[in-house]
Amino acid sequence: MSATIALGRRALREAVRQPDALFMTMFIPLFFLVVNTGQAAEIFPSASTEFLKGQGYGAFQLPITLLLAASFGMAALFLVEEIEGGYFDKLRAIPVPRYSIVLGRLVAEGAKGLVLATVIVLLALPFGITIASGIPGFLLLVLLTASWGVVYAGFMQLIALKTRSAAATNSGGLIFFPLLFLTPNFVPRDLLTEPMEIAATVNPVTYLMEALRSLILDDLVWDEILPGFGVVLALGVVMLVLNVRMIERYD
Amino acid sequence: MYTDGGPAVRAEGLVKRFTGRDGDVDAVRGVDLDVGAGEIFGFLGPNGAGKSTTVRMLTTLLSITSGRAEVMGVDVAREPDEARRRIGVALQEAGLDPRQTGRELLVLHGRLFGLSGARAAERAKELLALVELEDAADRVLKGYSGGMQRRLDLAAALVHEPEVLFLDEPTTGLDPASRLTIWDELRRINGHGTTVFLTTQYLEEADQLCDRIAIIDRGRIVRQGTPGQLKAELWERRGGGDEPTLDDVFLDATGRTRELGAGEVQEVTA
Repeated sequence: MSATIALGRRALREAVRQPDALFMTMFIPLFFLVVNTGQAAEIFPSASTEFLKGQGYGAFQLPITLLLAASFGMAALFLVEEIEGGYFDKLRAIPVPRYSIVLGRLVAEGAKGLVLATVIVLLALPFGITIASGIPGFLLLVLLTASWGVVYAGFMQLIALKTRSAAATNSGGLIFFPLLFLTPNFVPRDLLTEPMEIAATVNPVTYLMEALRSLILDDLVWDEILPGFGVVLALGVVMLVLNVRMIERYD
Repeated sequence: MYTDGGPAVRAEGLVKRFTGRDGDVDAVRGVDLDVGAGEIFGFLGPNGAGKSTTVRMLTTLLSITSGRAEVMGVDVAREPDEARRRIGVALQEAGLDPRQTGRELLVLHGRLFGLSGARAAERAKELLALVELEDAADRVLKGYSGGMQRRLDLAAALVHEPEVLFLDEPTTGLDPASRLTIWDELRRINGHGTTVFLTTQYLEEADQLCDRIAIIDRGRIVRQGTPGQLKAELWERRGGGDEPTLDDVFLDATGRTRELGAGEVQEVTA
């Protein structure tokens, strides 16, 4: 455990020393928030759009911003850089549990996700977006976003460990975009066309998005919130097992 | 501490087979080695001969297809963590984390080897002095020159005071002054009793530093002995004449001519 923490602290230092990467992680999602809200806010006026529950369209779009920010998988990009550069082998030659090398990065990704999600929500507040579920909801919102960041970084790390290539890891990360758009990202699920509704229903990201949205637009509605945490927990366990297995067998 | 008087490094019938789309490739084909405790042992061979693959197996970084390897009496396949505690590793191309400072990297390695925070900081200070990087200790590694990175890599391999130090081409790409600095450091480390297992393409380096050498070619050991023994053996086989150099031994062992080898083997005269 101490090795995981030591490697996690190193990964956090690494993130802080690459501010341009952190900036892009914030800028791109906020850019989409502004653009999407700007394009659709007139179509969905707050006063007459029931699913907005009294808030502006920006509040409806905030979950997408949070998910995008958590889905950059920077941990995997740093990992693959280390594999290509040779430092990964140096770490493998040290008598620490191999899993601590990947877990250290995931712990750091979780901590970074907490900060990023907090900053994004705080930046959204002056634009009239409120967290209807209050402080507990805000905490759950940040926790769920950061947890997704860990899951997604775990997925990206799998690609990094398998391919050992920065180009392949980068390309693999793009898989999130189809998953993000096969969700009720612009309107609630019941307003989607039937094929899109089916696609959204089988897409686990939908439940995550609906949980985040519920925390922003409603009081604590556990029927909406728990499936989001369930998805993160289930995928988290899968990613953890696969990451540990992959690094234990790394040759 | 290993006290039974056996070799520091032993390999018996070591084989590494890679399976690819184009079929199997045997990179190492039955290597037998014994490296005595306290020796500087040179492992030479042309590019692609199996040097790095052998080192990676001996240092637990690569699985062994067949055969066995021990470091200080510890089976590297059966007890990899125990073997890792006994060895220090500096691989080809100093792979270091470019966003850490030299001091942070050494402290991290100390912590990973189980040192307390205070002891890790103290050990980092000692090592930075040893490799003469005190002035650059708090700069991020991105700004280090190739020679400085190699010296720090060497220091990182020494954090836990290993009994055997594996160095894979530690001076490749360095200027002559940096190379001589590394040589001096290796002699000093060896002077403290650390066994050094060194792969190199520089024959003069092997001649200057190594107590014994082995030459590997196409995955097999083709010569093994002290530089003096190998030269004498070739001189006898040739029936006298000019005293052969280690270059001559290498070319004879690998079946290459100077013309053929020129593109593959860097013969250093600096």
